Amino acid sequence: MTDLIQLLINGLAIGSVYALAAIGFVIVYSATGVVNFAAGQFVMFGTFAGVAMLLNAQLPWPVGYGAALLAMALFGALFFAVLYLPLRASPVVTIIIGTVAIGITMQNAALLAFGSWPFRLPSPLEGVNLTVAGATISAHAVAAVIVTALMVALLWLLFFRTSLGIGMRAVAQDIKAARLMGLKVNRLLALSWILAALLAGVAGLMLGPMWFADTSMGDPIALKAFAATIIGGFGSLPGAIVGGLFVGLSEVLGASYVSSAYKDLISFGIMILFLLVRPQGVFGERVQDRG
Amino acid sequence: MKMTRQEFLKTLLAATAMPWVGAARADQGSPVLVGATVPMTGPLSLTGKQYHNSLLMAEEDINKAGGINGRSLKIVFEDTQASNSTAVNAFVKLAQETKPSLFFLSSYSTQNLAVSPELKKVQVPAFYAGGADVVAEGGNEWMFRVRPADSVSAEGMVQCALNVLKAKKPGILYIQNDFGQGGAQTAAQRFEAAGVPVVGTGAYGQNDKDFSAQLLGLRSKGIDVLLIFNYPQDGALVLRQAKVLGLKMPLVTSSAALVPAALQLLSAADLDGVWGVVDTLIDPSVGGRMQDFVERFKAKFGTDPDPYGLAYYDGAMLAAEGLRKVGADPKALRDWFASVKGWQGIGHLYSYDSKGNGVFDLAIVKSKAGTKSLELVQTIKLN
Repeated sequence: MTDLIQLLINGLAIGSVYALAAIGFVIVYSATGVVNFAAGQFVMFGTFAGVAMLLNAQLPWPVGYGAALLAMALFGALFFAVLYLPLRASPVVTIIIGTVAIGITMQNAALLAFGSWPFRLPSPLEGVNLTVAGATISAHAVAAVIVTALMVALLWLLFFRTSLGIGMRAVAQDIKAARLMGLKVNRLLALSWILAALLAGVAGLMLGPMWFADTSMGDPIALKAFAATIIGGFGSLPGAIVGGLFVGLSEVLGASYVSSAYKDLISFGIMILFLLVRPQGVFGERVQDRG
Repeated sequence: MKMTRQEFLKTLLAATAMPWVGAARADQGSPVLVGATVPMTGPLSLTGKQYHNSLLMAEEDINKAGGINGRSLKIVFEDTQASNSTAVNAFVKLAQETKPSLFFLSSYSTQNLAVSPELKKVQVPAFYAGGADVVAEGGNEWMFRVRPADSVSAEGMVQCALNVLKAKKPGILYIQNDFGQGGAQTAAQRFEAAGVPVVGTGAYGQNDKDFSAQLLGLRSKGIDVLLIFNYPQDGALVLRQAKVLGLKMPLVTSSAALVPAALQLLSAADLDGVWGVVDTLIDPSVGGRMQDFVERFKAKFGTDPDPYGLAYYDGAMLAAEGLRKVGADPKALRDWFASVKGWQGIGHLYSYDSKGNGVFDLAIVKSKAGTKSLELVQTIKLN
């Protein structure tokens, strides 16, 4: 029982990070139709924004976290202006390939700027452990779960209780109709990229102390976030959350109760199963095109 | 102009000999070339950068000391990155374009195994630092190891567990590759032979980041000592997570988790209760050549040297001695290296056996309480 509690918390903490990356993925996809293959590198940039502010600039952690998230928001806006805006009239596949190219560029830029040695990104809760039913649990892991829940609540408020969020949902539903209704579509699209970058920043700041900050950390996160969105339902926010948590838990529990050698096989195997049996995922809606 | 037959023959002889004399003079002035294929970029550069720096320092020291019988020594580098195919390409490029008298290869056994057939074709001696026993067992007479083989390291870790920590129920965690699997198997056999069988074993992939399942699984089996076969980054992460999960038993790690590149990722608390078997303890307080090496390395590159880098420095010094004694002929050089017995480097005493293994000593270390500095527990010498 003690071990199970520890495994559950670890799985939920990792799953929370995947969920945040997956939500960013879904927001961008819903608004623009673009599958952002640089999503993992967005999270990596989030971690290194933390390294730059907390380790290099030695800012106190509240200021450092704020500065890192501000940097990520600016990065999201830049990404929209430099990549999406010039390519928006191109076929979606062109933009998708653009995100792949930008992802590779981001990884190499981080390598040039920070070098290949990993960094130890500190947590404000460094060394603080909680004991629950005999299990030793890292306070940082618990905080990661709480922060994710908080972010999800804020997103819900944004999308369902503010005109800005309702506008974003309108753009996601039908971009032409939204434009005809007088919504500032470009501004709302930019906000989608900024939001995705911000969520990746939060994920990166939570992930840094759990793993080490390392320029190659983006690829596995992108794969897991992708699996999470497939399982949860492509384009569904609740699906991204459930999918992320499911992937995190299946990874940790699978390694413990099945085999560590097959832990990735379990989550990706389930993803393939969903693609075959229920391609719309858990929360996705069945969409049919008329012939 | 009339020329006698004697004058004609002298002129002909001089004309024939001139290009050879010129070439000999040019050879006397040209540097002795050594090829080095090491991982300078990518994730393996964590340790590869040390080899690069150590070889640069050795080149400078050798040339300051008069070079190779009046000729300078020049090391030409190629990057192997983290890929076997890149390692092979780097080797072939150097072999074809630079034609060095000898090589230094990377410390990653999979790259050593990939390059080995090419080295056999080229027939030039090479120093390498990969630990996997299978590399030496391959029977390539041109390969000479400058570090302890993994079986030697595994034996040292088992001795630490049995003799120092008095283990009764050991467990093993290893990275799933040639190095980790080989080390874990050797250690399990040694424990079995000592009548203390391993009660739990766990493995993880090279890119894994979460080890809680393996660590908790091993704890639930009641192990009293955990041996860990790891690389630097994953090794540091395992040690950190073991502390976060509240594991109390002593941990005995292989050398990679205790190199400076890994130690910078750890806190003093992470190292509490951690033991390790390292190739050699880099301790400037012993004075002499060790102190000189450490101080100059740190001043030159701004980082502490690690035992792997020191092995490459020793290897370069050994190579220079061979080149001075027998010249750059590959076969003569190979035979000289094969005959080396009791050559005292800074890090080790080098004596080559028929399989090209040259190092048989190790150090058991432990972190000083509340610090990240390592202290020697005992040295181990194996045959």
